[in-house]
Amino acid sequence: MIKEMREDRANAEKNVREAFEKAQALQDKLNAVVTFADIDAQLAALPEDGLLRGVPIALKDLVSTKGLRTTAESNILWNYIPVFDAHIVDKLRDAGAVVIAKTNMDELAMGGTNLSAYSGPTHNPYDLTRMTGGSSGGSAALVAAGVVPMAIGSDTGDSVRKPAAFCGIVGVKPTYGRISRYGILPYASSLDHVGYFTRSIEDACISLHVLAGRDDRDMTSSFLEVPDYLKELDSDMHGRKIAVLGNVVKNLKNPATIKVFNDLMDALRERGAQVDVYDFDEDLMKAILPAYYLIANCEATSNHSNLDGIRFGNVVKGETMEELMKNTRTNGFGPLIKKRFVIGSYGLFEENQERLFRKAQKVRRKVVDAMKECLKEYDAIMAPASDNPAPHLDDSSADELSANYLIVENYMAMGNFSGYPSMTVPMGFDGDMPLGLNMTCRPFEETTMFDFGKAIEEITGYKDMKAEVK
Amino acid sequence: MEERKDAAYFKKLAEQLMFRLTDEEAEWIKKEFDTLMGQLHLLDAVDTEDTEEMIWPFEDETTFMREDTVTHVISQDDALANVTTKIEGHFALPKVVMKDD
Amino acid sequence: MEYEATIGIEIHCQLKTATKMFSGAPCTYGRKANTAVNEIDLGMPGTLPCLNMEGVRKAIMACTGLHLTIDPLVKFDRKNYYYSDLPKGFQITQQFHPIGKNGFVVIDTPEGKKKIRINRIHMEEDTAKQFHLKTRTLLDFNRSGVPLIEIVSEPDMHNGAEAQAYVEALRQTLYYLGVSDCRMEEGSMRCDVNISLAPKGSDVLGTKNEIKNMNSIANIGKAVDYEINRQKEVLDAGGEIYQETRRFDEKSGTTIAMRRKEGTVDYKYFPEPNIFPVRLSPEWIKEIQDHMPELPEVRRERYAAEYGLSAHDISILIANKEISDFYEKVMTFSKNAKGVCNWLLGDVSGWLNHHEQNIETCALKPENLAKLVQMVDDGKINGKQAKALVEDLMEGKDPAQAAKEKGMEQVSDEGALREMVLSVLAANPQAVEDYRAGKDRAVGFLVGQMMKASRGKANPSIVNALIVEELKKLQ
Repeated sequence: MIKEMREDRANAEKNVREAFEKAQALQDKLNAVVTFADIDAQLAALPEDGLLRGVPIALKDLVSTKGLRTTAESNILWNYIPVFDAHIVDKLRDAGAVVIAKTNMDELAMGGTNLSAYSGPTHNPYDLTRMTGGSSGGSAALVAAGVVPMAIGSDTGDSVRKPAAFCGIVGVKPTYGRISRYGILPYASSLDHVGYFTRSIEDACISLHVLAGRDDRDMTSSFLEVPDYLKELDSDMHGRKIAVLGNVVKNLKNPATIKVFNDLMDALRERGAQVDVYDFDEDLMKAILPAYYLIANCEATSNHSNLDGIRFGNVVKGETMEELMKNTRTNGFGPLIKKRFVIGSYGLFEENQERLFRKAQKVRRKVVDAMKECLKEYDAIMAPASDNPAPHLDDSSADELSANYLIVENYMAMGNFSGYPSMTVPMGFDGDMPLGLNMTCRPFEETTMFDFGKAIEEITGYKDMKAEVK
Repeated sequence: MEERKDAAYFKKLAEQLMFRLTDEEAEWIKKEFDTLMGQLHLLDAVDTEDTEEMIWPFEDETTFMREDTVTHVISQDDALANVTTKIEGHFALPKVVMKDD
Repeated sequence: MEYEATIGIEIHCQLKTATKMFSGAPCTYGRKANTAVNEIDLGMPGTLPCLNMEGVRKAIMACTGLHLTIDPLVKFDRKNYYYSDLPKGFQITQQFHPIGKNGFVVIDTPEGKKKIRINRIHMEEDTAKQFHLKTRTLLDFNRSGVPLIEIVSEPDMHNGAEAQAYVEALRQTLYYLGVSDCRMEEGSMRCDVNISLAPKGSDVLGTKNEIKNMNSIANIGKAVDYEINRQKEVLDAGGEIYQETRRFDEKSGTTIAMRRKEGTVDYKYFPEPNIFPVRLSPEWIKEIQDHMPELPEVRRERYAAEYGLSAHDISILIANKEISDFYEKVMTFSKNAKGVCNWLLGDVSGWLNHHEQNIETCALKPENLAKLVQMVDDGKINGKQAKALVEDLMEGKDPAQAAKEKGMEQVSDEGALREMVLSVLAANPQAVEDYRAGKDRAVGFLVGQMMKASRGKANPSIVNALIVEELKKLQ
């Protein structure tokens, strides 16, 4: 879609305006947007060329945009207007993309449902009574509804890949360091990735080409050269080896998911791929959730200590500096955030670190070692991204730490532990609701990942699939 | 090695993090804390005896450091753009009492 | 009872770099508030740290100059606490892997040279500056993110003089290396002193007190000695020492309790996830170490060997690097090491202090000071005359020229002087009589008369010789 739009030079402005108007028209139904951008100024400054020239896009509301409010869906940042652009904003602008909106998300990206957003949840374009998943729900909804061909998200546990599955689109989390995090409001720095949504593998290739690359302002940013992903795309499956994540598939309960996934694996076999079930140590897989929970929240409580109302943000006055800080933070954070900060802080106490935070970091290494071992033999690890389609908005169990679906609904954090590239693509439907498949490949082998994605897209025919919002 | 903490404990902990909890919030946190403590055996089931912490996803050492040249300064107006109380180019706060460090 | 004081010192030094430790904003002093910052120094959401190479280089120089072992794998950690001057809510520091470990400096004590061990040096970033007004506190983030090293001593000092000598030795070294400005009064060097007292011979340490906010090196000795005495008196009276932070009050010369410490604060240190470990190449470290400016201890030895100055003179000279550097320039024109030293530390320094100028920016030319010393040595002018030329010298004038203008050139011509001597002897028969009677002090009187007669221009040593010669003839 990106290529067509880019080449439709005569209608660049019309395309952008249409996207903008469509987003506005759908706002009541989807609640996908926090702030609409000024498109006129951007259209007037369009570069002559660029891989995304004249392409309307959306940014998750944690991407710092100079002069454009950036709230991260938290009351504490409700009036915050950044004075600088994130690295990717520079890249996207230079490539000719036009930002139409900042999108809804879980508060400070700390959730998997989009329910914790200060302005209320985003609704799933396929069924407005259902969640988009989170935390990048607004971006997922706009892409799924066909408003924009690409939108930026971020992924700390599965915050791009889960909503992609629930919304029937492609959700890419490239290798850690592939895209600079400069100007992306953090959740947990060692797990945070910039990711994005598209409706086709080609668009995913073009987008990464634009977004990836070294940025000296992010010391964890990679120096590796950025390939022309589109050019290297090759959906031939002969000689490719797929490890099906046994720990996930054997715990699936939804017959639709099982059937769709198995059929797809068969189809890949038919195309020449070798598909084996590969079991990780079950104890290791069960430890992913508590390990993730601890690492993410320990880092988060520190990362968000800058939100104190002193230099920016929605300040609530107080008699003393301490009162001002406390009033601001008490008023500014939702209960879920406070809960996670408190528990994260507990894990960081000197007397607890060895048993909690550092133990989790050691488990992280064991998980990554196991992945490395698996990917020595296999080119990709695959499993359904979720057992069930998007839950209903009134599902109260969401975002609580729980023993249900310990592995199936939480395993994708493996991709964040390792930093390995991981992607969700649509694989089928359960009734009217889309189902997603997740795959993870070796570090910096996004090309391989896109090859698999392309093959699956050819098999399913789910290219440029749009939800009809009712 | 499970641990029990009461709601009052979490209220106190929250104060250290510069926010206050309602009674409901403190109780809610206690519940999740208990769940987490209940899940610690899942972590302990993984033998990490000779395992180092993994702090960064990639552990290849880097050599890059920034050159010592001024690359980016923002204006005073930009620095103060997101606050309402400013005095002669400073951020103005209620009086801060002297502290240790 | 007899007590022994144990003293450990933590010093924070701002590194002399063009930009901040983790951002490309400039390091400045005295600039308009919040004009030397960018979004990183303000801790705005999404900002990330990027390590300044020069900060690391300066830290390596400090470690080398103070004999620490350098860890070539640079890692950083977070120190978490909430405070208005700490924009991120954490400080990036090196808790677990300091860049340098186990060094020392040597200080002079009445018992001789003493080695004070340094436990560690680590890199970190400075906080914002707060101005406390009556009802408000104002914040300026220009200082936020300025590179710091913290130097932690072992508790090897036992009295105020040692503590002060330690800080002075560190200051000299860091200043000579160009690592830091080391200006305590501007806060580019800050000093926290920990003191505890225990009965002599006891191996149990007493309760630690920390003294902060000393704005000059001279105050360190005073503060420490006061504090030792205070604690001694409390203990002797059967009292208890509480663990507290105190500050030195310059006016009263006492330490005043600021706050009591209750337990230790948990800073929840953990490794900084946004900075991958940085490997310093051995070649780079070696290159830095091979191109270090001269250390004060090396200069000390060189001055003894090259100029033959006394240890005392050397100490005073090198205590001020600029004066010492200037001394070397003068010495390229002079052979009188002691003479130049005296002039520089005496009249020249006096003039600079009085006029609030410094040696680098004043008009004095090294060759002119050398010339002045030479003129005295050659007997062309006397010491008193030389002093009268200091003002001209300091204004950049050639002393020979100035002496001529002031009509100071000495008369050394023997023939002319002898005539004058004869007339002075003729005019003072009583003095001649006294000399004959064996009163040698008559010579002094006659020389004085000669100087009067010549209006100070007669060369006194020649005059002296001539008078004695003529008196002998008369005997």
